Amino acid sequence: MSKDSRMRATINQKLTEMGERDRLKELLRAKLTECGWKDQMKAHCKEVIKEKGLEHVTVEDLVVEITPKGRALVPDSVKKELLHRIRAFLSQHAT
Amino acid sequence: MKMEDMPLSGPDNTKLEALVHDIYSELVDDACLGLCFEVHRAVKQGFFFLDETDQESMKEFEIVDQPGVDIFGQVYNQWKNKECECPNCKRLIAASRFAPHLEKCLGMGRNSSRIANRRLASNNNMSKSESDQEDNDDLNDNDWSYGAEKKAKKRKSDKSQNSPRRSKSLKHKNGELGGSIGSEPYKYNYNTGISYESLGPDEVRSLLSTQCGVISEHTKKMCTRSQRCPQHTDEQRRAVRVFLLGPSAPSLPDADTVAESDSFDIPDGQALMSRLQWEDSPDISPTDSASSKASANHSDSRKPKKKKRTSLALNCGGGGGGVGAGGGGGSSLTGGCSSSSSSQSNLSVSSKKKRPKLSAPSISSIYDDLN
Repeated sequence: MSKDSRMRATINQKLTEMGERDRLKELLRAKLTECGWKDQMKAHCKEVIKEKGLEHVTVEDLVVEITPKGRALVPDSVKKELLHRIRAFLSQHAT
Repeated sequence: MKMEDMPLSGPDNTKLEALVHDIYSELVDDACLGLCFEVHRAVKQGFFFLDETDQESMKEFEIVDQPGVDIFGQVYNQWKNKECECPNCKRLIAASRFAPHLEKCLGMGRNSSRIANRRLASNNNMSKSESDQEDNDDLNDNDWSYGAEKKAKKRKSDKSQNSPRRSKSLKHKNGELGGSIGSEPYKYNYNTGISYESLGPDEVRSLLSTQCGVISEHTKKMCTRSQRCPQHTDEQRRAVRVFLLGPSAPSLPDADTVAESDSFDIPDGQALMSRLQWEDSPDISPTDSASSKASANHSDSRKPKKKKRTSLALNCGGGGGGVGAGGGGGSSLTGGCSSSSSSQSNLSVSSKKKRPKLSAPSISSIYDDLN
């Protein structure tokens, strides 16, 4: 397991150092906005806020409400694309 | 079958695959969190719900699409046709011109002092008849450009054609000169003219054979337009040629000056130059003193002629100046004439007639040098 965790750490490190992580982040954000995921999530946020009250809503509230739904709502195409890119990176840079 | 899309096979690969998914999840969580922060900030700053205003307010600010009105519902040129009464001069001014008019009417604002200064300057420089200028907004725009100044000058002189003062001076001229030299010299001689003072007789001859050559009474410059220039008559041209080149003919269009110089048969060109100064007013006192020397010379050489006041008045300077300095000498001669006339206690004809003053003092110095 430690080997595993060490490998993970290495990979993560490489991902960050080479800027691939940031590139992937940007790619994901762009794709999610493009496919309308962001607007969907915003609408959901509005409901949550109206529910909780405008004055008292906190970041935690939003995170708790939004994240599970967000994960579920990511379109398959976007998911596939991202997985593909991560795999490519790993195969390129894994030991 | 795309190799890339398939999960990595093998025991290690499951771990790798798990890793891939973990990385993916991390990225998605990151995106969600980013969104939460964005929304929360918008809520706390108050701009999250901006596109959900009530229907009433929405209707109030709807885009207007009617003719004659802009998208805010305001009429475009509502005040253009309205007229306002100026509190200062009580005139009705168009609304769009009201502000600049007030500026000049009240004498406040940046341009009004500029206009006033320019008016004063032109009053001092030009003769009385030239000094009238109306307020011209366009003049302001042309203030600082060279070419436009020329244009402005022309316009100034154009305007002064119609002013009351101008007509006064016209009366003078008409009475004295027989009206042969019209108002044209005002208009065109500022920019187009040659000073005959600086020309020798040959140059004068050649010039006169190609150009109109009529001399402006104000600037002493010859008209550089063609022989058929519409501003001057053929008579005027003939008169000028006679004055500049040969003995005077008995009858010339410029009755006053010609008549005065008629009796003065001076063979040399110098005398002729004096004739050109028919417009000169012997009233110029500086000339008297300045050219007293010249006049003394003249009186000596022109004894037989002294009998005629008119000739003296005009031509006393003639004998003194050389042709080259004729122009300069002319004016000084005139002054000399007047002095000699006065010395003989003869009222020169010119004195009866009011003529525009010339810058005699400087010219007389040239004359003196020649003598």
